[in-house]
Amino acid sequence: MIICQHGPSYYHFEIIYMPADEASTLSPPTTWVDTYGDYLYGFAFYRVQDEELARELVQETLMAALKAKDSFAGRGSEKTWLTGILKHKIIDSLRRKYRDAMFEDQDLDERKIHDSFDHNGRWKTGPAQWASNPEHLLEQKAFLDIIRKCLHELPERSAHALSLRELEGESTQTICKVLNVTATNCWVILHRARFLMRECIETNWLQ
Amino acid sequence: MINHWTFRCEDVSEMISRSMDEKMPLRIRMGIRFHLMMCSLCRNYKKQLWIIHRAVEKLDRMENFYDKPMRLPDQVREKLKDLFKDHE
Repeated sequence: MIICQHGPSYYHFEIIYMPADEASTLSPPTTWVDTYGDYLYGFAFYRVQDEELARELVQETLMAALKAKDSFAGRGSEKTWLTGILKHKIIDSLRRKYRDAMFEDQDLDERKIHDSFDHNGRWKTGPAQWASNPEHLLEQKAFLDIIRKCLHELPERSAHALSLRELEGESTQTICKVLNVTATNCWVILHRARFLMRECIETNWLQ
Repeated sequence: MINHWTFRCEDVSEMISRSMDEKMPLRIRMGIRFHLMMCSLCRNYKKQLWIIHRAVEKLDRMENFYDKPMRLPDQVREKLKDLFKDHE
């Protein structure tokens, strides 16, 4: 119990007073593109699902890192540091993207969901059981490939909402602000994203 | 009163998603649980959302996942390297 109580402050202590000889130093910036370029590109693409935007984000991230390289404190690795910068850039770019974007793509997909149910609100053709053992499913490359494909096929805003929620664990309040939608629309977007994902997976996986 | 306990699948599917993002009122949670007890399709739906959540997360944590599938185009590489040269 005592350890539990003191745990967080020890942790804090360790971060602030890390001995200098354990701190890592940065490699020359000219090597960053070859060492981390593909990684950052893949990381960004998985979250924004747009190649052009992902390329811009890699460039912005590396430029920002170059400017900030003197403030690299040596806590954690170079890769973690760059990834952290990229995460901020992703949120910033989504915020910019949706700042002036009206929320208008809603109706069409709402209807699509509505069509999955009869007039009593019951499933027309219900969700199937994908596997008797879900853990086993998660081990299969073919299944994970379908997840990637389906994520890419989602409407843009839905994909962004889902990645902020499921990957970054952002609260719905934050997601609403970034995507510039009301709280209610935020839940609708997430619901729709999951609904379309499961529909896409079911079509691809069970055929 | 009976309506509280007889949610429709269409509404339950939305509530299941929402319950992944925030804590729902007790009345709603009980209603969902009661519905799930009787509805195997909505049970499947709930499991599917859970699997999707786990799979999306798993891909993100997979070793080398981000290195392999995509290559930053040479044009972008060269542009960045050029910019970085000036800063050395």
